[in-house]
Amino acid sequence: MTNHWIDIRNADVVFIIGSNAAENHPISFKYVQEARDRGGKLINVDPRFTKTSSLADLYAPIRPGTDIAFMSSIINYALQNDLIQKEYVVEYSNAAYLINPAYKFNDGIFSGYDSGKRTYEKETWKYQLDDKGIPKKDKTLKDPNCVYQLMKKHFERYNFEKVSAITGCPVESLKKVAELYTSTHKPDKVGTIMYAMGTTQHTIGVQNIRTYSILQILMGNMGMAGGGINALRGESNVQGSTDHGLLWHIIPGYLEAPKSKDVNLETYIKNYVPKTNDPMSMNWWQHKPKYLISMLKAWFGENAKKENDFGYDYLPKAHKPVPYMAMFEDMSKGQHKGAIFMGTNPVVGGPNTNMIMKAVEKLDWMICADIWETDTSIFWKRKGVNPANIKTEVFLLPMVSSVEKEGSVANSGRWTQWRYKAQAGPGNSISDLDLIDELFLRIKKLYEDDVKAGKKVALPDPITKANWNYRHAGEHEADPHMVAKEINGYHIDKDGKRGKQLENFLIMKDDGSTACGNWIYSGSYNEDGNMMARRGSKDASNKIGMYPEWSWTWPVNRRIIYNRAAVNRKGEPFDPKRWVVKWTGSAWKGDVVDGGAKAGPEAKNPFIMTAEGIARLFAPALNDGPFPEHFEPLETVARNLMNSHQLNPGVTVSDMAKKEVGSAARFPYIGSTYRVVEHWQAGAMTRNLPWLNELVPDMFCEISLSLAKAKGIKNGDKVKISSARGVIDSYALVTDRVQPFKVDGKMVEMVGMIWHFGQGCESTGDSCNTLTPSVGDPNSSIPEYKAFLVNIEKA
Amino acid sequence: MAEKAFLVDTSKCQGCRGCQVACKQWNGLPGEKTEFFEGPEYTNPAKLSAKTWNHVIFFPIDRSNADRPIWTIMHKKCFHCSEANCLNVCPEKAIYRLDDWVVVDQDKCIGCGACVNACVYKVPELSEINHVNDAGQKILKRDKSHKCNACTLNEREIPACVSVCPSDAMRFGYRQDIIKHAQARVKVLKAEGFPNANIYGLDQFKGLGVLTVLRDKAEKYDLPLNPAVVDVVKTEATKDVYALLSSFTMGIPMLKRAAYKVSKSISKDA
Repeated sequence: MTNHWIDIRNADVVFIIGSNAAENHPISFKYVQEARDRGGKLINVDPRFTKTSSLADLYAPIRPGTDIAFMSSIINYALQNDLIQKEYVVEYSNAAYLINPAYKFNDGIFSGYDSGKRTYEKETWKYQLDDKGIPKKDKTLKDPNCVYQLMKKHFERYNFEKVSAITGCPVESLKKVAELYTSTHKPDKVGTIMYAMGTTQHTIGVQNIRTYSILQILMGNMGMAGGGINALRGESNVQGSTDHGLLWHIIPGYLEAPKSKDVNLETYIKNYVPKTNDPMSMNWWQHKPKYLISMLKAWFGENAKKENDFGYDYLPKAHKPVPYMAMFEDMSKGQHKGAIFMGTNPVVGGPNTNMIMKAVEKLDWMICADIWETDTSIFWKRKGVNPANIKTEVFLLPMVSSVEKEGSVANSGRWTQWRYKAQAGPGNSISDLDLIDELFLRIKKLYEDDVKAGKKVALPDPITKANWNYRHAGEHEADPHMVAKEINGYHIDKDGKRGKQLENFLIMKDDGSTACGNWIYSGSYNEDGNMMARRGSKDASNKIGMYPEWSWTWPVNRRIIYNRAAVNRKGEPFDPKRWVVKWTGSAWKGDVVDGGAKAGPEAKNPFIMTAEGIARLFAPALNDGPFPEHFEPLETVARNLMNSHQLNPGVTVSDMAKKEVGSAARFPYIGSTYRVVEHWQAGAMTRNLPWLNELVPDMFCEISLSLAKAKGIKNGDKVKISSARGVIDSYALVTDRVQPFKVDGKMVEMVGMIWHFGQGCESTGDSCNTLTPSVGDPNSSIPEYKAFLVNIEKA
Repeated sequence: MAEKAFLVDTSKCQGCRGCQVACKQWNGLPGEKTEFFEGPEYTNPAKLSAKTWNHVIFFPIDRSNADRPIWTIMHKKCFHCSEANCLNVCPEKAIYRLDDWVVVDQDKCIGCGACVNACVYKVPELSEINHVNDAGQKILKRDKSHKCNACTLNEREIPACVSVCPSDAMRFGYRQDIIKHAQARVKVLKAEGFPNANIYGLDQFKGLGVLTVLRDKAEKYDLPLNPAVVDVVKTEATKDVYALLSSFTMGIPMLKRAAYKVSKSISKDA
């Protein structure tokens, strides 16, 4: 989230799309209700009428997978009727920037496309530069090559009638949503967009979010109280996990994971540290070398020296992208010997679970570390297989639950809150930290022994030279405070001795004199102590519910990021009632201002993380185009009404996935997946609890009255749902909350499914991910769980 | 008039069912074995019972106003009537008023089922099992009547169901404050396009201990506007006969139940 949970209450319009917040983020919805109590309006766009819809002022249906079309019609409405925050758009976005005249867009394809590789060469998407190397601008927005004109032309194709035919949302509903949301274009009116997996889990997932960003920039809503782009993270600490680099393509602090082409530190810096000649741009990522080198110092200690690139060579370099889906494809080809699954349950949660189960069979060993027996840990006794034929050795390690260990949890609003151990875990259970710590120390010992014995050992240095000290002398357990202190970072004196804690990342160096596990967390545990454990309940001077003394927020306790965009060039708040920061002429008041307190609003551009310092309406960095364009899901009932390409041209479907693509002739209904409040993710934590099993005891799907009638299915009947990848048993909930969509003139039905069930635990059921395809977004590789094709029959 | 009251604001309920789970957790009640959904939509179990003292009812969506479909999700438990049928019919005075709440005294309950039959809201139920909770408390006793006791048995400041509500759909407080708040909510709802918004429970049984804010007419949610009050003359007659007969039962519950049945037929209270 650019903002945070409490801040939602400041919104005049809350727009929830791709999320059923009332169901899956019940606490977030408390603040949505507060916004409504203060006179705010709630728009909800969803394929079903959900718990969120039941409390909305305005509900509009949408066919799964058509968010770009839906949002583009609102963007078009705003542009055509000039309902934009003009001052903000001209000053703080790239609307006025001139693009290379060679940039073209034709029939869904942007210039630079290589149809063989299905990738883009992005040269023609660049800005025109003046002789100082600064992007050329036309602040009158009239130049035909300026972003504003290009975007107007791009989005005018998305009129309400055409978008209605794509999305299945009636024209009247589209208009109402557009009218209500664009009311926030006024400088002192603010709207927020809340989204979750309904937006991201598509082959156009990142471009879906781009449409939200574009709309928010046009409305002038970024950086404002009650504004922003707010991703509702699906687990209590999934924010923390991405912050610390638990995805395949990043390392801690959102630095790029090195690839094999990044042969040394110099090359890495050349490839990933952006440059600008624009004096108005802070270009914050220019500091990346400090963050990377400090991280290497934290990881490799005295073994990280200038002479050895601070141990850069010790980092693994990926020779190809290995997102979740590719990892399991590799596994199914026998390329992995073992796997550790901690707090994850892929045979329920991954796409195409039949493929995943066949893949884990190829492992020599597998460790599942969880608080319960998970469905994954018993994959070898699933229906239809003979356990005797499976050679995988499975270890199930008992772990403590979240209240049985100490540590920090980062919520969606980036608040990192320290929590304490309430009680000891049962039996021999240990914490994740202790497992990793013990495992690493033993592996290190094995390496050291082999090296000492003169044995030939492959790449021992990254292990033997690691700076791994998380236990107090004589202790057998790791101390989470020691980890947190290393994440915050510390000074290193000339003799290589560890000094004081870093105050924050502003004083970090790239010469090896500072160490820091994760730059964005620098300041969380400094010489003043554990800032994450703070529980001060005093609000800040702007009284907008920031509570800056409660816990700690990255970066540098900033509660609303891009907050420089909340004021005009003079430093006056666009919305004086709910001001975030203001410039007094010499100092900033309110929230911790973006980019340091020294620079005034006239001196620097507000969006400090882009090289231009402004927000990108036209985004030249993505893999599938600078503007969002509608494409159909991999499996779809409809033809693409916007251009002649069905699937996103940036998506590559793997050979394995290609073999199992279903057609609308065999699988005529849209399948979509989601959660219910009673069960947690893949269900291993909740399907053992009788009180929750009482509420939702079985796998179920939701279908409309019309589909039920056509198929002779009554409420509560058992059904079989099939896709090109498998078939599952389910109960059917027949409900008028689900209605067919009128798409391109014909009615299309949807089968919505919960994904919490599997074969383990007290209450069992089939996993709907048996049906989902293993294909994903070309930028993030998130699988397309939200729109695919199924058939349904009465069992 | 009662001093305190519960508020159930269906126009704010998110349907998380935290109330249903919190009640079971606080009291140590067992989960019920259910299949699929036993009531409409996500409702589970279908009704209140000795094991389930509150539950959340998901009514089918009402699309009669296409611009403003209403999907009502309603927390339901004992309404704690001011003039409670169950209390009035109980032959053993096992049901009594504790502060503002209608409570069953398990030691006195003979399991006659009078309260079960008398409650128009179908709240109390005789337990089929004995159940001891984790705290060692015999929370369910076989053949005795059980229902919500407003957390007066396992006492706490704010009842468990209210304490976990994330969305302000439930409140617990002084009745006058609750009424004032409910009236303000109804005004807001009318302005939002729900002309039938109302408060249920101001008048029924001389005022219910649970006031429910609804976006549509109460009858749509099985909440009668003029619920049948038990005939006091008849119930008193039954109780008089029972008082006489029960002196011959030697305190044996089975005989007491039989005595109650006989009393009922003698006094023609049916």
